[in-house]
Amino acid sequence: MAVKSRSRLVILVSLLVLVASIGGAIFAGYLVKLDREIRERFAGARWALPAQVYAAPQELYAGLPLNSDDLVHELQRLGYRQDARLEMTGTYSAGAQHVDVYARGFDFWDGVQAPERLGVSFSGDVVTGITDIDKNQPLDLVRLDPMLIGSIYPKQGEDRVLIKLSDVPPLLPKGLVAVEDHGFYSHSGISIKAIFRAGIANLRAGHVVQGGSTLTQQLIKNFFLTSKQTWNRKFNEASMAMLLESHYSKDEILEAYMNEVHLGQDGSRAVHGFGLGAHFYFNKPLDELRPHEIALLVGLVKGPSYYNPRRNPQRATARRNLVLGVFRDEGLITDAEYQADIQLPLGVVGGRGGGVERYPAFVELVKRQLENDYKDEDLTNEGLRIFTTLDPRVQEVLETHIVEQLPEIEKSRKMKAGTLEAAGAVTSADRGEVLALVGGRDVRFPGFNRALDSRRSIGSLAKPFVYLTALEHPEQYNLETVIDDEPIELKLPGAPVWAPKNYDRQLHGPQHLYMALAQSMNLPTVRLGLSLGAPAVLKTMHEAGYDGDAKALPSIFLGAVDASPLQMAEMFGTIASGGFHASPSAIREVQTKEGKPLQRYPLQIKQVFADGPIYLLTWAMQKVMTIGTGRSAYSLLSPDTAVAGKSGTTDDFRDSWFAGFGADRVTVIWVGRDDNQSTGLSGSSGALRVWMRVMKDLHVRSLDNIPPASVEEVSIDPDSGLRADAQCVDAITVPYLSNAGPQDWAPCAAQGSQNGPMQWLKDIFGH
Amino acid sequence: MVLFAALLLAACQTTSGTHQVYPGSTGPEGEPLPPPPGPVDAQPLPPPLPVVPPPLPDYPKTAEQISGAAVTSLMKRARQYRQDGQPDQAAGTLERALRIEPRNYFVWSALAQAHLAQKNYAQAESMAQKSNALARGNIYVTLENWKTIAAARNGQGDADGAADAAAQIAALQARLDAAQPDTP
Repeated sequence: MAVKSRSRLVILVSLLVLVASIGGAIFAGYLVKLDREIRERFAGARWALPAQVYAAPQELYAGLPLNSDDLVHELQRLGYRQDARLEMTGTYSAGAQHVDVYARGFDFWDGVQAPERLGVSFSGDVVTGITDIDKNQPLDLVRLDPMLIGSIYPKQGEDRVLIKLSDVPPLLPKGLVAVEDHGFYSHSGISIKAIFRAGIANLRAGHVVQGGSTLTQQLIKNFFLTSKQTWNRKFNEASMAMLLESHYSKDEILEAYMNEVHLGQDGSRAVHGFGLGAHFYFNKPLDELRPHEIALLVGLVKGPSYYNPRRNPQRATARRNLVLGVFRDEGLITDAEYQADIQLPLGVVGGRGGGVERYPAFVELVKRQLENDYKDEDLTNEGLRIFTTLDPRVQEVLETHIVEQLPEIEKSRKMKAGTLEAAGAVTSADRGEVLALVGGRDVRFPGFNRALDSRRSIGSLAKPFVYLTALEHPEQYNLETVIDDEPIELKLPGAPVWAPKNYDRQLHGPQHLYMALAQSMNLPTVRLGLSLGAPAVLKTMHEAGYDGDAKALPSIFLGAVDASPLQMAEMFGTIASGGFHASPSAIREVQTKEGKPLQRYPLQIKQVFADGPIYLLTWAMQKVMTIGTGRSAYSLLSPDTAVAGKSGTTDDFRDSWFAGFGADRVTVIWVGRDDNQSTGLSGSSGALRVWMRVMKDLHVRSLDNIPPASVEEVSIDPDSGLRADAQCVDAITVPYLSNAGPQDWAPCAAQGSQNGPMQWLKDIFGH
Repeated sequence: MVLFAALLLAACQTTSGTHQVYPGSTGPEGEPLPPPPGPVDAQPLPPPLPVVPPPLPDYPKTAEQISGAAVTSLMKRARQYRQDGQPDQAAGTLERALRIEPRNYFVWSALAQAHLAQKNYAQAESMAQKSNALARGNIYVTLENWKTIAAARNGQGDADGAADAAAQIAALQARLDAAQPDTP
């Protein structure tokens, strides 16, 4: 019996040992697997880094047309704050005719610009000089740091701006530890004390109200695990936390935590890490945050949605002040600082994402242009730095007038509010750089991008290309050529008879070519087009930059051609630049995340039209503005500012366009309805109202109107169209291509009556 | 009315090139323009060519003469990049200068040369033409631009085009030589 029971005991013990050994082996294997996972995750690139997109930097130099208010506005947009002491970067001090700035350093494509204190002086609306305050030296040229305007993150993805522990303000890590994990520097990954404290709190409440997780555990949870609260997960988390602590230093873990932590949500974009958090909430770099701003971010860790300072400012303020209290209790800030800081407003920048995600239409264009050269993963993972052409000042002007004018137009036309939509583009005249883009009246909403994707009938915006085609034939056409304004009926095979009418349904008699364009007359344009041929006109459009598939039919003369606003800016840009085509470009340079130049997008131009015909066309398009359909623009613009443009109205007033340029800017505005119904607006009564306000606020430069060598200016008598002299009181000056002007003298001219055999002698020896 | 229209048409035919009427037109109706004057006896001659070439207008010879301090400094930097064998950096710097002074033909001319140095022949020629278009007759810049164009055409193997450019260079050089004694 004893023997039997002893042998049973032996078997039992053996079994237990066996089970324990197997369990131990399995457990060991499990730990090895976890350990490998952790080390793999921590080695090398820990995060996929979205590409960062920057606006064009503001250049500062003597002669720049910018006044001190403009500069202050620009600095505020960049998150600079007024502080006369100028102790840290990102501060400025403004006086009358003078602004001191402590400019941030920045790694530009062509070199590093160190942080420096700048003195900028003004005289009225012009910068007169820039000084390096510390060296007391004048500077020819400096750039402000460019604005971060977006990032390219994967769908449903995380966005972050990486930071190093050594670069963050010391208060942040100290405060974070004080609030989230007091024992961080002494525990080994888990904190028994914290777990007990949380357990008691949870027991009392009857459900989970408090977590006993250390920062290390939180990091593990975010990195590897789902947020489901199970015992299994808790166990995994604790094991991995201890393993992580055995491999990495506290500082490495803390740095990883600060880059990983979730701090907010912006639509489908998850805001991760304090680097992006600083930009997302305060529109400035992390190292410029002050204690109350740091406290807000630290407070957000507990619940970025619950304490969302934009949605729940009261909760966020209470949480911030509680965190500031911890800072004070830990001796991180003085009581005086605490008392002052809890009085401060949250200071969170307004609107959707503040500086980031502010320009969805433009960033969309940037993405499309990048997709030609980069794979999706490169853009979402490699942390590329994309330098773009967006000019925030121009963008602001374009947005302001679209947002303000649409309700005005709706009101004056008794339309239901919200009926109209709009889109617009501003490009640089000689280079085709896209300076501003608006895809709809809700300018922050990344929805349908009408500036790029709407293809609307261009109406009379097609006319300049008909007239340009004509002016390229100086032996047949010049600006004074007379065209009939007569009814036309066209019978094309397989189509109903086409009988175009003038806008006002009237006939006006024969018209000078330039006047037919200025008044946007349909019948003379169709006549002209027919004599040139639709294929020739379509070719002109393609050369100017049109890339659609319109057929070469007579209806294209009146704009039965679909195009986007940006494409119209491209086509009008070709005219504005004297006949040189440039594709609209939104990107200047791309850098790696380390700041090494990767790729430059050089300016590319091609001469597609001779300068002479373009000069003549531009002259006629200035008549549009002075005596034609665009003349109401001069109710706002100075008469000294010569601009050229063209209105566009389509059938049944579905689309209202205006496109035009000065010496430096091309602007195109479209107003219409998404359902393509009639708006009752012509180009002049709709889009022009936005266009002229944009051009005025951009201080568009006047066209210089110096004729090229291929053009001669001839004084003519408008009645006869013949050469005039001082005797002709109503003489006007008209440009002609060389040797294509009138040769005969008008009746009013002294020469006209004296034309005789001796005239050639007079011509030789002068009068 | 018919007589009037016929007169008008006749008049149109004799006024060389000023009033082209739309082909196939049946003559103006509605609100006709005042009729042009009747035919004239003799055509005035074009102004005769002067025997002695006039002194050249006082065209700027260097970029500094028409550029602000910012652009001058960028052009210097670009020149340095060129000397250091970094034509793309030079082009980038010149593009920055163009954003400040978009119609500075000296900058366009230098940009054309930077493209030539990178063997971007098509762009070298386009930029040189752009500079010519903006230079409004400045013979010094135009001469440099035609040299760039000639080299770009040679680089592309366009012998005929290069010969045309060489002829332009010769003509400009001749004008310059002829005018030189007149310049102090």
